[in-house]
Amino acid sequence: MSTAISLRNVVKTFGPTRALDGLDLEIATGEVHGYLGPNGSGKSVTIRTLLGLLRHDSGEVQLLGGDPWRDAVALHSRLAYVPGDVSLWPNLSGGEIIDYFGRLRGDLDKDKRDDLIERFELDPRKKAGAYSKGNRQKVALVLALSSHAELLLLDEPTAGLDPLMETVFQECIHEVAREGRTVMLSSHILAEVEKLCDRVTIIRHGRTVQSGSLDDLRTTTRTAVTVSTDNPVDGLETTKGVHSVRTEGGTLRFEVEEAALGGVMNHLASFGIRSLVSQPPTLEELFLREYGDNLTVEQVE
Amino acid sequence: MTILLNRAALVDGIQDSTPQPRPLAGFGHLLRFMVRRDRLRAPVWIASIVGLIAVSAASVVGLYDTTAELQEYATLAQADAALKAFAGPGYGLDDPTLGAVVMNETLVYTFIVVALMCMFLLTRHTRAEEETDRAELVRAAVVGRQATLVAAVVWVAIVNVIVSIGLAVSLLAFGLSLTGTLAYSVAACGVGMVFIGVAAISAQVASSARAANAATGVVLGVCFLLRAVGDLGTGWVTWLSPLGWAQSIRAFADERWWVLIPIMFAAGGLTYGGVVLSAGRDLGAGFFEQRPGPVEASRRLSTPLAMAARLQRTSLVAWTTGLALLGFFFGIVADQAEQMLESEAIAEFFEQVGVGTPTELFLATTVLMLALTASGYTVSTVLRLRTEELAVRAEPVLATPVSRRTWMMSYLTVSVVGTIVVMVVSGLAVGLGSAAQLGEVDQVLPVLGAVLAMVPALLVLAAVAVALVGWRPKWAPFAWAGVVISAVSGLLAETLELPQWLRNISPFEHVPAMPAASFELLPTTILVLVAAGLTVAGLTAVNRRDIG
Repeated sequence: MSTAISLRNVVKTFGPTRALDGLDLEIATGEVHGYLGPNGSGKSVTIRTLLGLLRHDSGEVQLLGGDPWRDAVALHSRLAYVPGDVSLWPNLSGGEIIDYFGRLRGDLDKDKRDDLIERFELDPRKKAGAYSKGNRQKVALVLALSSHAELLLLDEPTAGLDPLMETVFQECIHEVAREGRTVMLSSHILAEVEKLCDRVTIIRHGRTVQSGSLDDLRTTTRTAVTVSTDNPVDGLETTKGVHSVRTEGGTLRFEVEEAALGGVMNHLASFGIRSLVSQPPTLEELFLREYGDNLTVEQVE
Repeated sequence: MTILLNRAALVDGIQDSTPQPRPLAGFGHLLRFMVRRDRLRAPVWIASIVGLIAVSAASVVGLYDTTAELQEYATLAQADAALKAFAGPGYGLDDPTLGAVVMNETLVYTFIVVALMCMFLLTRHTRAEEETDRAELVRAAVVGRQATLVAAVVWVAIVNVIVSIGLAVSLLAFGLSLTGTLAYSVAACGVGMVFIGVAAISAQVASSARAANAATGVVLGVCFLLRAVGDLGTGWVTWLSPLGWAQSIRAFADERWWVLIPIMFAAGGLTYGGVVLSAGRDLGAGFFEQRPGPVEASRRLSTPLAMAARLQRTSLVAWTTGLALLGFFFGIVADQAEQMLESEAIAEFFEQVGVGTPTELFLATTVLMLALTASGYTVSTVLRLRTEELAVRAEPVLATPVSRRTWMMSYLTVSVVGTIVVMVVSGLAVGLGSAAQLGEVDQVLPVLGAVLAMVPALLVLAAVAVALVGWRPKWAPFAWAGVVISAVSGLLAETLELPQWLRNISPFEHVPAMPAASFELLPTTILVLVAAGLTVAGLTAVNRRDIG
């Protein structure tokens, strides 16, 4: 499988701030890749670096087999971009702006454009100054999705969209994925990422903290188990791979790493299991785990 | 927290059980915030205006230090239509005092700069804020519907009063009479208050800050023209213009204080009108609804150049029209240049331009003034690059197969082509004006040559802006320094006795004073080369920096 985007140990500083601090990222051709991180973690800086708008200080950046800084113009004809903060010329109509960008990219597809305008229920006659945030976002989506670009760089593309339009967006991304095109989707909406993405990368403070398929990520994290047994359980705290053991009103709660799950189940069986509930971690829990305040404590452990 | 809430509820309960509309809620906070935002801007405006008028007054005081010289000026001014149109009917020139001459030379200009300051500051805090999302945040707080406008009016009025005090102090420092000085500064203050009112209404009626300033600017232009027409002979027309009323206070020439009454009524009425309009208006909305735009872009809108041209279209039309009117007016009065040269002061001013017949020298000066004014268009158009970048509109364009060079060249091209259009049209207007007055077309071609000879100097100013945007974008506003240096060096060099090396910084210093002088190839070539070098430097540097 070839690589669409590859960043290795990339550093980008703004004065004393290290916006990217040794970032690694790998996106394969044809995948829909979720790019997650809290506000200010460097998501937009990464995308701007990939667009050749920012020059990184060190490390390696490759985009569609080229150097995004050196080959910016040539590479841009193969990608489409939805900025995180959509700012349009207030006295031009939405339709004019969509056409202008389509022509700059050189692949304005009128049928596709009209179809998307209809699906996103956008009024193309309205001047951009009169659009709401959601409508400005729709303009940016229509102008990116109406392209035939092989790579879509989307920086929080559904911010400001209503749930109906979010569904339309998800349909569009499924279509793009079926055509074998690559999507980099930076987002905060975890349900959306769970629905759309094959693989995700989670960053924090300009560094990659997790990367892999959703299944992979789940196995590297812990399953939450709630169990009640006939006899009091002992020896669990000292079992390898078991964390946060606590008893609440006769039921036992703990978290267990995937590798230790089988052994723990055998151990529990000897105490007579009455009921057992186990929950695989959701992306939300993954995310909270990576960003929760207890992260530093756990790292110390 | 609970205690606080209960206490607030208690206080409310004591005062009144039904909520009050409180249209001015938050006034004090808003006012303090405006002062904070303008902590640099307001002092710069105040110092610039007071400084400008003080320098002008100093030059008058220096030039006319004997009664004979004052009398000479008075005779000339009373006979000269151009001076009347620009400076007023010449109050107090029958028996000229130094104060009267200073007033005649500076008062109308003071009115214009004070009005412009009030307009820019008021729009900045009202209409311009509404174009951002900030106004929404502010209005969502405990802030009344009219509080922002009223706070802005009060703040700008305070700045306006400080300017007037500064003017008074500087005029008194030149030893002018207290009564005249008082009338002079009160009149200037009154004009400021009237234009605070005009700007307050424009801010409600227009649908953008630019449109609001344009509307106020048109009102100012019409007021200037009405009083010019009145002062040239049709006296009653003067009374249609607040500038006319303020001027008729006759500072230093038997003051008429009652003209302050209509000024106060106008300022109060306009401001009150603006405040009333602001009560019934949606946030961000204008009085006129925006017409819908086209569903599809026109076929031409397919390059950054076409987009830059489209965005600068209105601005180019406005600059061309304004400068053409100015040029036509200069053309009409060109034949009076012979008389003007009888004045030693004006002769000295022309001497810095060059040697030639009085008409030629006058035309050369006119062309220089047109070029200096046009440089505002030249530089502001290039600096739109920075505006686009800061508004994050450059980023999506540069994320398409458009190189940074193409993007920069688009605005530079619009600037250069537009500059040539502005100069040629206003040059033709000068020629036509003089042809209309003299009944001969002799001056049309020489003036056309002269305005074209100015273009290389304007290119240098554009290229400075390109270099700054490319190399040190944060310093981009310093491109205006080129305009200011050129204006000071071109118009005040003799008065301020600037050394030659300082004058040489201005690119206009190296342009032959056509039609008085003849065309010179060498300096023109050097200017073009300097412009080209700076442009290449800017285009190269922009490829090495971050965007945004």
